[in-house]
Amino acid sequence: MSYSLIIAETRKGEFQEGNFDPLYLSDIVGLPSYILLPEGEYGILRGSCDKVIVAPLKEGEFLNPLNIIRLLERTFQAFGEPSAILLPHCSFGIDVAPYVAGRLGWPIITDISGFCRGEEGEIFIKTLYSEKINGHFRLKEGMRFVGTVRKGVFPKVAEVVKETLFEEAPSIEKDPRRDFIEYIEEEIEDVDITKADLLVSVGRGVKEKGNIPLFEELAALLGGVLSCSRPVADRAWLPKARQVGTSGKTVRPKVYFALGISGAFQHIAGMKDSDVIIAVNKDPSAPIFQYAHYGVVEDMHRLAQKMIENLRDQK
Amino acid sequence: MEVVVLAKWVPTTQEEELKIIDEGRSVDLEEVPFRMNEWDTYAIEEAVRIVKEHGGVGWVISMGSEDADTALRRGIAMGLERGVLLETEEDLIDPFQRAFIFKNLLQKKGIKFDLLLTGGQAEDDEFASTGGVLAGLLEVPYASMVIGIEEISGGEITLLRELEGGLMERVKMALPAVVSIQTGINEPRYVSVTGVLSAAKKERDFLSAADFMEGAKGLLQLIRVEIPPPKEGAEIIGGDLDGKVSGILNILKEKGVYK
Amino acid sequence: MLGLLKREDLFACIQCGKCTGSCPEAGKTSLNIRVMVRKVLFGDWEDKEVPWFCSSCGACTIRCPRDIKPSEVVVGLRAQMVEEGEIPSSLYRALENTLVQKNPWGRSRNKRDAWTAEVGFEIPFIGEDTLETLLFTCCVQAYDPRCMVIPRNIAKVLHAAQVPFGILGRKEVCCGNEIRRVGEFGLFKQLMEENEANFERYQVSRIIALSPHCMNAFKNEYEGGDKKAVHYTQLLWELIQEGRLIFKGSYDKRVVYHDPCFLGKQNGIFDEPREVLKAIPGLQLMEFSRSRENSLCCEGGGGRMFLDVEMGERNGHKRVKEALALGAQVIATACPFCLLNLEDAAAVLDADIEVRDITEVLMEVL
Repeated sequence: MSYSLIIAETRKGEFQEGNFDPLYLSDIVGLPSYILLPEGEYGILRGSCDKVIVAPLKEGEFLNPLNIIRLLERTFQAFGEPSAILLPHCSFGIDVAPYVAGRLGWPIITDISGFCRGEEGEIFIKTLYSEKINGHFRLKEGMRFVGTVRKGVFPKVAEVVKETLFEEAPSIEKDPRRDFIEYIEEEIEDVDITKADLLVSVGRGVKEKGNIPLFEELAALLGGVLSCSRPVADRAWLPKARQVGTSGKTVRPKVYFALGISGAFQHIAGMKDSDVIIAVNKDPSAPIFQYAHYGVVEDMHRLAQKMIENLRDQK
Repeated sequence: MEVVVLAKWVPTTQEEELKIIDEGRSVDLEEVPFRMNEWDTYAIEEAVRIVKEHGGVGWVISMGSEDADTALRRGIAMGLERGVLLETEEDLIDPFQRAFIFKNLLQKKGIKFDLLLTGGQAEDDEFASTGGVLAGLLEVPYASMVIGIEEISGGEITLLRELEGGLMERVKMALPAVVSIQTGINEPRYVSVTGVLSAAKKERDFLSAADFMEGAKGLLQLIRVEIPPPKEGAEIIGGDLDGKVSGILNILKEKGVYK
Repeated sequence: MLGLLKREDLFACIQCGKCTGSCPEAGKTSLNIRVMVRKVLFGDWEDKEVPWFCSSCGACTIRCPRDIKPSEVVVGLRAQMVEEGEIPSSLYRALENTLVQKNPWGRSRNKRDAWTAEVGFEIPFIGEDTLETLLFTCCVQAYDPRCMVIPRNIAKVLHAAQVPFGILGRKEVCCGNEIRRVGEFGLFKQLMEENEANFERYQVSRIIALSPHCMNAFKNEYEGGDKKAVHYTQLLWELIQEGRLIFKGSYDKRVVYHDPCFLGKQNGIFDEPREVLKAIPGLQLMEFSRSRENSLCCEGGGGRMFLDVEMGERNGHKRVKEALALGAQVIATACPFCLLNLEDAAAVLDADIEVRDITEVLMEVL
């Protein structure tokens, strides 16, 4: 019987939330779901999938495309060939999915954010051109593909409660050509942006390093913490530890006050769960306005100046 | 060291209001300026540095219309030596197919590499897949989202992959290998217009992608494109500058983050 | 080797120091232009930071008794760094943006005519009806919401005075004045060629430049040696003299005029902007202690709009403070970079003073 095989990500032993999106997509497509994981305890998965397949590999060995392909070959022998291999769209998914597709000779669709079924068959939706376009993709040779699934886009199909079988994957000989050595933590500095109630976050619109102090002052006057989007950290205008987004920190403050941030998905993914998002951008068509609860079309520098003036007056 | 970079010439759509044409099948890019995919500038810079340190030859390879020659010229102007363009007027979006064509090129032309670099993703389709698929097809080691190359010696490469939440992993791989590069790994050098013009005098190979299609069938079909439905947009705080400022301060007070 | 200059040209230098003496960056940054000329002459200039401190005001070149053109020495050093690829990252962006989108801010070229939306009448493309007067918008006026008022105001004035004119719209590209001063000669040439081809194709006989920087490029740096370019203040003074602008109100304020470097000291246009202001009923014109040839640079030129450098007090702050001391209510200027820098300074200093473009003052009484 056909099924979808979800290759799940753990980090430091922790089951990652992003794994649920491929699982829910599998439910929506209507395939039984088998989840493949490294060594660990996965009681939380009971009821949510058909099989939990635990590989006899440590996390560092498992999160490795070269070992995964060997594991897949053995898994297919044991459980049959799946119709879909699904992964979360993250640093792990994007490491493994293309490689697996190349080795198996299967098509690949990454960052899947929608699915529909109609006269044209099964359609997978993926955004193109910085979120400005939705592309509708069809598999030319039917349901057999590798996909990564965007975090937080597929809802849980409410009535699905499954009888979950726990199985062991066959052991493999590890590929010696790629080795995990160690994790490296970003140096921890005095401020932890993930713990702030109010983040004043600046993006590309800040234009130059010399403008940072203005927003530092604004953040200080408001009693918030200054964070930034990737372009700002890339240019070392603020430390990497201040960066919000997929490649930085994921934050959930009470208020996320974004100034001059256009709203690239990588950034949105790191802040969309904030209680309230206020976005300031001079471009009224900036994508961030689609995610923000409140929007202000204004030059961030002008607005910050004015806010600082008002706040100083009040003090 | 033979280092190959795959670079893509992409439309700069971030600021554009895009239009759909061709009965919903394609995006009108007629008036949109193109540029080197941002990730690829980092990959090229990294390749230039590696070749400088370890010797050897750096290649830049691109696929696209004849305009994509500019990607080769920019790569050469940055310091790579050889350029190959696989010309095609077809919009080949399937990363599996693209990777297969690159594989055919490398094998048929006997281009051997120790390291093949790609940008982490292309700005246009954001598949982030061509390098990985190519590594799979060639059965060589692969690592994506690489934010640091620490050492290359004894047929091995030690690198840092960028993970989520400020975490990185250190990985060691055997060469030859394929690596996809994250922005921020280096500071790409500027390429002057004069530099790009003089790179035009360097020899480049212009080949037809059609000659490398053997077995490279498209497995994925883009049947439709659409402008995403507008999401529940933000409530716009309008008025003059004072009104905007007090509007924001009121929300901050309501949420209890500013007293 | 040095852009337009040859090293031999520098032998004429007598190290008198007039250049450093007139430099608005001397003392507050580590730029000492006299020392730079000396070191470049002897081939031992190595620093990669100091050349970026120059704001291209041109004072050194104007004052030099030996016609050395020290400001071009700076451009030459920058050009070397550009060719070597070693430039500050914010300049990298500005240059890349100009290459791709034809403006340093990287805004869409397809939105270059967006400012025309709110003028209230149709502005024709220069190619229509063989219009010969071109209103050249350029980048900051086309995209910066603060500066967009300048082309809108001029368009309204021309419309009211029944002067036929057209624009290049999306076909226009950056004039390149700053690009050349950053040392990107190849890109400058590309921009110049594209603009000049359009000037020729549409038989432009007169160009109205909104920014002194554009006017300077057209007049002094385009190969066509385009003498047909005028600054908008020259046009306004013409219209006033011809009686084609009717003032309806009075502007009862004390206004001090700030000479933009590229309008005043580099192109000798001191009087027209003053005449325009003096013609405005009620307006009381004041002068800075440093005015005309001695005007203090706002530090917006030479790529400094895209690059912040470590320094002492900004000149904009000095300017605002002096204007306050004079008792001026308004600082009027005629350059978008001056406008932005002075307005920034007034905001930072929390100064009770308005900073206005001359067209904004004019619109109050038309």
